[in-house]
Amino acid sequence: MRPDATELGDARRRVEQLVRGMPGGDADSRSFEEPWELRAFAMAVAAYHEGHYEWSEFQLSLIESIRRWEEGEGGEPWSYYAHWLEALETVLAASGALSDSLALDERTRQVLTTPRNADHHHAHREPVAVSPATR
Amino acid sequence: MAEPTDTPLRSQEEIAARVKALEALLIEKGVMTTEAVDRMAEVYENEVGPQLGAQVVARAWTDPEFRARLLENATAACAEMGIGGLQGEDMIVVENTDTVHNAIVCTLCSCYPWPVLGLPPNWYKAPAYRARIVREPRKVLAEDFGFPIPDDVEIRIWDSSAELRYWVLPQRPAGTEDLGAFELAALVTRDSMIGVGPVKAAGA
Repeated sequence: MRPDATELGDARRRVEQLVRGMPGGDADSRSFEEPWELRAFAMAVAAYHEGHYEWSEFQLSLIESIRRWEEGEGGEPWSYYAHWLEALETVLAASGALSDSLALDERTRQVLTTPRNADHHHAHREPVAVSPATR
Repeated sequence: MAEPTDTPLRSQEEIAARVKALEALLIEKGVMTTEAVDRMAEVYENEVGPQLGAQVVARAWTDPEFRARLLENATAACAEMGIGGLQGEDMIVVENTDTVHNAIVCTLCSCYPWPVLGLPPNWYKAPAYRARIVREPRKVLAEDFGFPIPDDVEIRIWDSSAELRYWVLPQRPAGTEDLGAFELAALVTRDSMIGVGPVKAAGA
């Protein structure tokens, strides 16, 4: 069931090669604090592997997003992966993979208004299985 | 070309929803596959969160009053340490003892106490684990995870849902009487809080 540790190590080294030298990308600001951050990170690498953009394009887009933040346009608190997401949306829009940002806004609203796991919403307060001691 | 979003100051919940929506759209358009994103996320999945759960466990091992509060109301006890969920879902911590071993599952999907444990590993979401850990827990723990539970210990499997998520308080390993909370936290593994693996031995 579990992935091979060597395989994961190799994949990780390849990704590290990619993100080395990213703007604002010291190890601390790149660490993940929320699940969405990892998901956004993984999507950017996956879309790059699929050939939707050059890594340098993504890099430039990220630099641009961080620069705008530094110039204080939005006055938002610092979030490395918010910039990462913005950069990803930008390069995907430029490549035509995400041509319609309204569709993304609409879909986001849908996600926000749909209860998570609507089919699985009540609490289970007893163990779902018990394997008794046999001696 | 579409402009990047200009929505100011999005909450974590909104941005998480946007990431989810983006992934759904891209998969529908065939830009990428879920498997490709999963594969990439797997490389790092250990880095989101389980260290928070480990801190909670270490504190419970060293502070009996905190341990009592954690077992009484895990959501509130974790909140004391600044650890909490996106939408306030409740958590229950089940405690391993000499006679009872606990493990968690979500039989229907992948509900998981991610504020303390981070992202669920892929096998947790897989149908094989979800079905078999309920049907033959002793065998799955021994054979799939190499983590045999002694015959004189009862195994209880807890089913998480969107409303209520379980996780496991493992037993403090022997020979750790002299360790402080920081060193103890380093012994706590993600798998030990799912109930499918041991904590690390002291000095290992």
